[in-house]
Amino acid sequence: MLRDITLGQYFPGNSVFHRTDPRVKIVLTMLYIVAVFMADSLLSYLIMTAGTILLIAVSRIPLKTVTSGFKTILFIIIFTAVLNIFWTKGENLLFSFGIINVYAEGLIHAGKMVLRLACLLMGTSVLISYTTSPIALTDGLERLLSPLKVIKLPVHEFAMMMTIALRFIPTLIEETDKIMNAQKARGADFTEGNLLQRAKALIPILIPLFVSAFMRAGELATAMECRCYHGGEGRTRMTVLKTKPLDWILLSVFIAYGVGIILL
Amino acid sequence: MTKIELKGVSYLYGGKTPFEKKALNNINACIEEGSITGIIGHTGSGKSTLVQLLNGLLRPTEGQILLDGRDIWEKPKKMRALRFKVGLVFQYPEYQLFEETVKQDIAFGPKNMGLSSDEAERRVMDAAKFCGLGQELMGKSPFELSGGQKRRVAIAGVMAMSPEVLILDEPAAGLDPQGRSDIFGGICEYRRKTGATVIIVSHSMEDIARYCDRVLVMSKGQVWAEGSCDEIFSRADELEAIGLDIPQIARLVRLLKEKGVDLGDKLYTVGDVYRALLPYFTGGDGGAS
Repeated sequence: MLRDITLGQYFPGNSVFHRTDPRVKIVLTMLYIVAVFMADSLLSYLIMTAGTILLIAVSRIPLKTVTSGFKTILFIIIFTAVLNIFWTKGENLLFSFGIINVYAEGLIHAGKMVLRLACLLMGTSVLISYTTSPIALTDGLERLLSPLKVIKLPVHEFAMMMTIALRFIPTLIEETDKIMNAQKARGADFTEGNLLQRAKALIPILIPLFVSAFMRAGELATAMECRCYHGGEGRTRMTVLKTKPLDWILLSVFIAYGVGIILL
Repeated sequence: MTKIELKGVSYLYGGKTPFEKKALNNINACIEEGSITGIIGHTGSGKSTLVQLLNGLLRPTEGQILLDGRDIWEKPKKMRALRFKVGLVFQYPEYQLFEETVKQDIAFGPKNMGLSSDEAERRVMDAAKFCGLGQELMGKSPFELSGGQKRRVAIAGVMAMSPEVLILDEPAAGLDPQGRSDIFGGICEYRRKTGATVIIVSHSMEDIARYCDRVLVMSKGQVWAEGSCDEIFSRADELEAIGLDIPQIARLVRLLKEKGVDLGDKLYTVGDVYRALLPYFTGGDGGAS
């Protein structure tokens, strides 16, 4: 269950998207999100879906991995669909039951919303989570936001915090697994009982987890200080990001994709 | 009598991803009732995976694990009952402590078993005694204790369930000599009083030689050898080839033998060597030379 979080789940590979500059990928992702939200006509939806499928195919991430993220947002998808089916008013009444009226428009709208959410989830996770290592991602973000330093925004510190947070997601998951197993070995049961009992069953996991997370944070801070870390001032990078022709090609493709969806 | 039997057990981590890794490959082994078995092997040889399979936290990808002749996965719903029979103490178990007092923490296992509070109390007291935890500690918060004490509380937490098989993964890792002997003393005490089968995973050849009567050597996810301490540690050169070692003192005995001082065979602990050396100092008959 903890393995379903897609954020920070880098999937190693050597596809076009793996090799793209992280800064460009962040821009691409934003373009993609805008494009998906601008889709309106049937044709634009078709382009949107085709583009997303192409994206997944090019990234060479197994389809099973891409769709595994659905479990986490399944509730939101179902909720959206139900809301749209029952609350959209239209002209073609399909059937009515008491105060519930279902219109054809509602069904179409629900279908569109579900499709949009699915594309959004798969597209962004392929572009960002699966093909970008967390380090590259925050690196790109820091460079992209660096103009904001002018207005005294601590961009480097934000990026560092994000790097650390992303870096520790797998560690915390592993730690949680370990503690869960240790408590299971003492007969703890996390799957049975009512909501209150289940919430109570989490205490033996959460307390040790918090204790070790705080300890780890303290140790990390000390270790960073020992290596003379003092924030972003005057700090240089080991790998300097440089855009390649491939990045510009991808950028133009995505702009074309976005413009296409908006115009059609 | 055989307590645990492994038949062709394999385990695969992260199936169908680029991270796929075969942790265990066709393991066959028997563990005798009432024995203390040591499992050795260098990092990544599959020891920790093996012990998690034994109490059903992991399910073998292939093969069977038999406890008292019955497959432990026969009724997956009864897995909790199995975990009370096969107690597993993880590496660095002090990280699993969470209750307000030491006593409550040790009682977590027995309470999950559904025992009456009297019975649970009795079990807690017994377990505390095995691990050398005095009455004065029982009301304290587990977070106030020293590292060695925390470790003993965690081990007592598993002993309090009175498992028939007690498995400990690196029980003494990172402790000082006093802490180590306290832990092993507790384990031996538990076995003597309950007749339980004990399995200890360790990197310390000294501890294995001193406390275990059987040794299982793991290498690259397979059982490399199985036998008595004597059978295993007499193959020193082969052990070194797979990244393991023999106890320091046994190495000394070998070096002395090369130099012409033969103290005898089967000397793997400091105590053994002490007794073998004694005649040289007391001027007796000169011992084995």
